[in-house]
Order: sequence, then structure tokens, then C-alpha cells
Amino acid sequence: MIKLKVEHLGKTFSRGDDTRVVLGDISFEVEDRQFVSILGPSGCGKTTLLSILAGFQDATSGNILLGNRKVSRPGPDRGFVFQNYALFPWMTVKENVMFPMKQQNVPREERERTAARLLNMAQLDGKENFFPKELSGGMKQRTAFIRALAGRPEILLMDEPMGAVDFQMRQKLQEELESLWLKEQITVIMVTHDVDEAVYLSDRVIVLSSKQGRILDDVFIDLPRPRDREAEAYEKHKTRLNSLLRKAFKEI
Amino acid sequence: MEKVTNQIPKNISLSELTGEQRGLLNKILSPVISLSAFVGFWYLMSLHYNSQLLLPTPRSTFTAFVLFFKTPDVWKNLLLTLERVLKGFSCAMIIGVPVGLLMGVSKTATRMLDPLLGCFRQVPIMAWVPLSIIWFGLGNGPTIFMIALAGLFSVVLNTIVGVRNISKDYFHAARSMGAGSFSIFRHIVLPGALPDILGGARLALGGGWMAVICAEFIATSAGFGFAMVEAQTRMETEKLLALMILGAFVGYLMDKCICAAGNVLTQWK
Ligand SMILES: Nc1ncnc2c1ncn2[C@@H]1O[C@H](COP(=O)(O)OP(=O)(O)OP(=O)(O)O)[C@@H](O)[C@H]1O
Ligand SMILES: [Mg+2]
Repeated sequence: MIKLKVEHLGKTFSRGDDTRVVLGDISFEVEDRQFVSILGPSGCGKTTLLSILAGFQDATSGNILLGNRKVSRPGPDRGFVFQNYALFPWMTVKENVMFPMKQQNVPREERERTAARLLNMAQLDGKENFFPKELSGGMKQRTAFIRALAGRPEILLMDEPMGAVDFQMRQKLQEELESLWLKEQITVIMVTHDVDEAVYLSDRVIVLSSKQGRILDDVFIDLPRPRDREAEAYEKHKTRLNSLLRKAFKEI
Repeated sequence: MEKVTNQIPKNISLSELTGEQRGLLNKILSPVISLSAFVGFWYLMSLHYNSQLLLPTPRSTFTAFVLFFKTPDVWKNLLLTLERVLKGFSCAMIIGVPVGLLMGVSKTATRMLDPLLGCFRQVPIMAWVPLSIIWFGLGNGPTIFMIALAGLFSVVLNTIVGVRNISKDYFHAARSMGAGSFSIFRHIVLPGALPDILGGARLALGGGWMAVICAEFIATSAGFGFAMVEAQTRMETEKLLALMILGAFVGYLMDKCICAAGNVLTQWK
């Protein structure tokens, strides 16, 4: 089943006479429950693409279909995890997680139950009443992830969700994210510029090129989970994506 | 370690103190030293001029201060002035916060109100005294008006800054979780701007406390500022100085109160 359809999406920024094409003509389809990474050099338009999908920005041309509906405004059908997490600092962990459910008028009991389940799943028991400033980077990341899940979105959009943590933490978080995702079985589009992260997590990697933001390649990664980072097949995928990324970078 | 801190050794030398103790000592001693130096300087100057009218000694000022505790008049004036400050401050908040929030979220409102605000803000607050006396006569009216006006600008400007400084991501996040406009206002704009609103409130209260005394010099026949003018005309300089010290104390206490309230309200910061 196709969950998301992106048709001829284009984005041009203009200031006065100066126009620059950030996204050329992007089309792709995402299967239900697929984990898709969008990989590309810095400045190629990854964040722009994701925020258009979320409805934070308007596309210059093209359509986005979620299920069979056209979407353009932000909505709870698309959960978003921000690069800096954007947890509301004035709300506790639990209030943050409850927020999307409250906005959708989920009955109180169900809210409590879902929040408890998600907090437990993300190993945040006992941290319910902490404010975001009192959390470690990893805890913030997990809170942001389950907050996005709490709204029961049809698809999860993540912008470099591990950009703000160091290398060692990153691998651990990737493993945690994978196990959370395996439990939730939700469609994910994740932006990253980290090849290892893309190979570890994704069913499929879409590589964007800098030149007029087009799709350079679409790579499927068919390895059993959890993935062995030392395995030969894993390395092969990494090498392939690395050379693609170099190519993407040169295409300026 | 526990024992060392509990027992107080007879001959204590600075090098034997733990870092924590030294910090505490420093915390207590530093203000004591600077204050004593100031009072010492004051004392020397008062000896030099040798005139109770020009510069009373710290001692006679202190005596005047102690005398306040037996004169209900001083406290009545102080209470009256505090009441004016609180009323004027409340007006500044009740008008300023909504206006600031509106200007923070709406570009049109900003375009309409910004020139007005910009002009009025440039009028020195004391320049309002004659007009406020014409409008409100003498007594509570002009003083409350001036306190409110003095505070209004800091409240409005701080509230605007507070709203504008809220990260766009929070708005996006709330929208993508299904929040409507009212919910965004209630759960994002208000709490997000709160620290700056409290900052504005602090400025308004401090400014109000200053404005009220000035206003009372001129526009009223009761209150703390009036008591000071009275002391001056009666040439009771030591009472005047004591009143100034009391005024400083009260202002300091009000500031501490609003800071404490702010800390409770923005624990998350
Ligand atoms: N509001 C804007 N106005 C003009 N140009 C913009 C705007 N937003 C983004 N751009 C341009 O679009 C291009 C893509 O930006 P984007 O943030 O999507 O890149 P990215 O792939 O996410 O990069 P990174 O990996 O560094 O986060 C950049 O060259 C940027 O300068
Ligand atoms: Mg980006």
C-alpha cells in the first residue's frame, strides 16, 4: 500500500529578480511502514523538502498525497521531530507527550494510558515531571520521538533527529530509535547527512543532489534487523552511498 | 567532613577553611566591608561639613530612622504610596500585556501602534506632571496615572520582545500536533512570553516606585514623596535621609518579591 505520494514537487526561493531553485522536480512514493532516509549534502534542500511535507512551507509546484488526500497545511496526520527537538520548555515531559492528544480531544483516560505506555517504551519512567532542561540529549530525543507518536500520525517526519548528539551516543540512539520504530510500525521519512545512520535505519535511501535538488538515486537496503554494522553487505551499502554522496556533492 | 563543619575550632585560620566555608565568608564579608566603607566615608564627610542641615551624621540619621517606628504618620504615608504604586502598576500590566501580546502576534497591530508608542515613549515622564494635574487634579489621580504611564512602555515593549523571541519551531510543532489558534495562544504564546513579561513587570514596578515619589513631590498633599518634601521644608535633613533609606529598602523588597514570584512562575527556565 502506498502511504505517501510526492508528485513533481518544486520549490523556488526568490528575492527581487534573484530566483533560486532549491527543489527541482521531486517525485517519489513511500510504502506504508517503510523507513525512508533522505540523504544529501548540506544545503541541498533536505530540510526544505521535509518542511514542505509537514506543511510548514508551501511548495512552488507539485502535490503531496497522504493516503488519498492532498495535504498542504500542517496537521496531526504528519508527526514531526525537529532537529533541536523543539520540546516545549514550559511543559514537563509528560505534558509534552500529552499535548498532541489533548489537541485532538482524546479522552482523559486514554490519554493517560497512551502516555504511560509511550513513556515506558522510551524508558522515561520516573522522568514524567522533569522539564526538558533537566533531560540528557538522548532523553530529549526520545521524548520528542514519542511526543510525535502520541498524536497517532500516519507518517513520521524527522529532520536529523540525531544531529545534536555526539558520535557514541548516536549509535546507541539509532538502536533505540529502531526498536521504538519496530514496535510502532509507522511510516518514517528521516533526513540525514550521515551515511552510517541511513544504512543502519532505513529500508530505503533517497539521495538528493545539490544541483537543482533532484533525486540522484533511490537505494533499497534489504538487510535483516537489527543490523550488524560490521557485516560485509552493510559495508557495501555504505561504500555505495558514500560514492553517491560524493557525486551529489560534485554536481553543484 | 560533617564533623569539621559542625564544630567551630577556637583558632581558625583562613587556610583551614573548606572552599564552601570560604565562599560563605566571602558572601557575608564583601557587602559588610563595602557598606562599612560607605558609612565611614559618610561619617568623615559629615564631620568635615559639620552641619546637621547639609549632611547629618550617620548616627543622627539612624536615630531618625528608629524614630519612624514610633510615628504612625510615616507608615500611613508609605502605605498610601504603596497603594498608588500597586494600582498604577496593575493598570500598566492590564493594558500593557494585552497590547504587547497583540503587537507580538499581529503585524498589522504593530504597524498601527508602533509609531504611537514610539512617539509617546520619547516624552519624559516628568513632562506629564502638569497635564496630569490638569486632568486629574491633585491626589491619587495624577500619581496613579503617572505610575501606570511610566510602567506601560516597559511592559508593552518587553511583552512584544517576549512573543517575537519564541522559536518558530514551537509554533510549527504545535500546529503539526493539531493545535488551533486559541490553543497556540494559550499554550505557546503566553508561557513562551512569560519570562519577558515578568522582566517588563519588574522594570514597571521599579519605574513606578521612582515615578510615584517624583509625582508626590508635586501633585499631592500626602504620601511618601510628600513626606520627604515636608522634611525638607522643615529642614529635618536627617529625617529626609532616613526616608530615602527607607524608600530604598522598600524598593529593594518589592524587586525581590517580584523576582521570587517570577522564579516560581518560570521554574522551567
Ligand atoms: N527562506 C529561505 N529563503 C531563501 N533561501 C532559502 C530559504 N530556506 C532555505 N533556503 C536555501 O535553500 C537551500 C536548502 O536549504 P535546506 O535548509 O533545505 O538545506 P539542507 O539540505 O537541510 O541542509 P543541511 O544539511 O545543512 O541542514 C539552501 O541553499 C538555503 O540557502
Ligand atoms: Mg537541514
